[in-house]
Amino acid sequence: MAGLELLSDQGYRLDGRKATELRKVQARMGVFAQADGSAYLEQGNTKALAVVYGPHEMRGSRSRTLHDRAVINCQYSMATFSTAERKRRPHGDRKSTEMSLHLKQTFEAAVMTQLYPRSQIDIYVKILQSDGGNYSVCVNAATLAVIDAGIPMRDYVCACTVGFVDETPLADLCYAEESGGVSSLALALLPRGGQIALLQMDARLHQDHLETLIEAAMTACKGVSKVLDEVVRQHLQEVSVLTGE
Amino acid sequence: MEVCGSSNVSLREFGCEQSLLSRPDGSASFIQGDTSVLAGVYGPAEVKVSKEIYDRATLEVLIQPKVGLPSVRERSQEQCVRETCEASLLLSLHPRSSLTLILQVLHDDGSLLSCALNAACMALMDAGLPMSCLFCGVTCAIDTDGQIITDPTAAQEKESRALMTFAIDSTERRVLMSSTKGSFTVHELQQCIAVSQKASEKIFQFYRDSVRRRYSKTLE
Amino acid sequence: MIGSVCVTQSPVSPSFLLHFRTAEPLEYHRSFLKENCRPDGRELSEFRTTTLNIGSISTADGSALVKVGNTTVICGIKAELANPTVEAPGKGYIVPNVDLPPLCSSRFRPGPPGEQAQAASQFIADVIESSEVIQTEDLCIERGKLCWVLYCDMMCLDYDGNVLDACVVALLAALKNTQLPEVTVNTETCTPGVTLEKRHGLRINKHPVATSFCIFDDSILIVDPTAEEESLATAQLTVVTDEEDRLYSLHKPGGTSLSGQKLQECISRATARQREIQKLINKVIHSVKTAQ
Repeated sequence: MAGLELLSDQGYRLDGRKATELRKVQARMGVFAQADGSAYLEQGNTKALAVVYGPHEMRGSRSRTLHDRAVINCQYSMATFSTAERKRRPHGDRKSTEMSLHLKQTFEAAVMTQLYPRSQIDIYVKILQSDGGNYSVCVNAATLAVIDAGIPMRDYVCACTVGFVDETPLADLCYAEESGGVSSLALALLPRGGQIALLQMDARLHQDHLETLIEAAMTACKGVSKVLDEVVRQHLQEVSVLTGE
Repeated sequence: MEVCGSSNVSLREFGCEQSLLSRPDGSASFIQGDTSVLAGVYGPAEVKVSKEIYDRATLEVLIQPKVGLPSVRERSQEQCVRETCEASLLLSLHPRSSLTLILQVLHDDGSLLSCALNAACMALMDAGLPMSCLFCGVTCAIDTDGQIITDPTAAQEKESRALMTFAIDSTERRVLMSSTKGSFTVHELQQCIAVSQKASEKIFQFYRDSVRRRYSKTLE
Repeated sequence: MIGSVCVTQSPVSPSFLLHFRTAEPLEYHRSFLKENCRPDGRELSEFRTTTLNIGSISTADGSALVKVGNTTVICGIKAELANPTVEAPGKGYIVPNVDLPPLCSSRFRPGPPGEQAQAASQFIADVIESSEVIQTEDLCIERGKLCWVLYCDMMCLDYDGNVLDACVVALLAALKNTQLPEVTVNTETCTPGVTLEKRHGLRINKHPVATSFCIFDDSILIVDPTAEEESLATAQLTVVTDEEDRLYSLHKPGGTSLSGQKLQECISRATARQREIQKLINKVIHSVKTAQ
């Protein structure tokens, strides 16, 4: 029943997209003056802000310093007005802690931390408006922010949430689709080598469909990486025009 | 507590006692009518490395209300008291140390912030910390008729249209700190400042008398 | 704009100035103040460019984004239904909250809100109460049983000084942008029925605007301080005024003293600022309405 609403017979979704079509991505880098790197990304109606401070000296407990690499510290939070119901605890609740941990693991795989031993890199992500695919939008925004900060990475990290409805994988789910009982899978990919940084799914899915779903996710991520690459090149062009190089 | 005309400023009964607590380096209790606040000062003492400032002392203020845990209101009062004390203490004489000022509200019957400021000043004096000037707190309330009431009680505060607390320094009688609530005109503001400056004279005289009385016993 | 700073009258290289600024920030600022201007080129009584953007967050009932120079504050308002308090059965209430998260500046650590955020929240709550921006009776739906609660969350995204001014402007603009849905109370079952399509705006009585000043060395007064100037100043002062020239708050949390004449200057500057901001808000709201 739910499948009928989410994907019509002609292959159109709730918001008029096709099954493999991504939402419109708009991004800007270098939005904040205080931070070392910052980015603002909109994917459809989901708006996220990512800010990077670092690499700098370890703050807080010195005992957590690693002698050979940098420590990445992520914090994920949602603004209280980002969801339809006001969020009472924007940070510190279990979902936010879990997301922060996932972001940390994702970026530890991508950032070249061996270049900055004994230091700390802070990545703060804030969701201003939530309409599905929170994790993926955060990862994309954070990638742009880390690039803006000038911290070297192995590759772009692109993420996408995909769902499985009616034997068809749907790319880039919105909130209505996510809560409509679709089995959703979130994937963070380093596109050039096709390496998966993080894969998360906690829904019911038949083993046979897993292959197709991952394929669809990887294609969607590669699509996102093209858009992010465009944004970075354009930003670089703007900056070089301003500094006169 | 009386309604003030143009020249006569009357405040409630004052009471003060210094060195009443044995543990803190300096302590004082200040009573204005029924409002009473107890202050204790610890310092100069060792400071946490994360909080240390290389060229002056770090001052921390804690205000404990009579019931319940400190809330957002106490935090903003702490900010006011702390910055007033920082302006009058000679903090550069004790670099890399910490000064802790703890204020406990014993009873609140109006003019709480000014009573806290007075108690803080007396406690800092009692601790022997070097200060460039003394300060005192005065609260003014403007009631619905436009009359200015100094040192209002809780009942008068509730019925007032505006409530202002000023911290006045002893050397030049200028305004160190100002915290206001309610709406008022510029003219009313200037009148209240003038009234507070006059009232501060009485409070400074009271400081002098109480300290003189206290040390006269030891001097003899 | 870079004049000679050393004793010798030769022009100086930009890198020298950068090092001088880091090593001796107070002297660096003093050298500019002597010439009656500031490092970013402003006059002593000049504000940074203020831009305003409303209604950007669709999940919130009202929202506004304010940029004062680099300082960015976003305000989102969510309206919820609740029971009114026992002391005031005929009134709704407004709950403001100012958040200074670690992403806005490296001086804020992750964890519970610090003193600055809490003092700012208390300041905004006092301004709302003193100025009666909204008559809380308007928020009452049924006396004693049902009322609106407006949660105003102001979040600073980029901290470059003068957060209080930006928060007040954001709050005012967001309140003007808020649309509350119609609520009908079913008298038999006593349950509220909300029609999300029919919405009406809030009635704003007053337009309070805050202006912040900083005092340097006990005598020099500057308007709209940046974060660097705030940390070097000896005292700070915020004046809140409205269109009828009534003062709602004179917030000076300690620091060096101020003479009566300087105070008068501050108040007149604040009144001028109030007119500018009110014009800006009206212009933006008008342009949003005509665009719809």
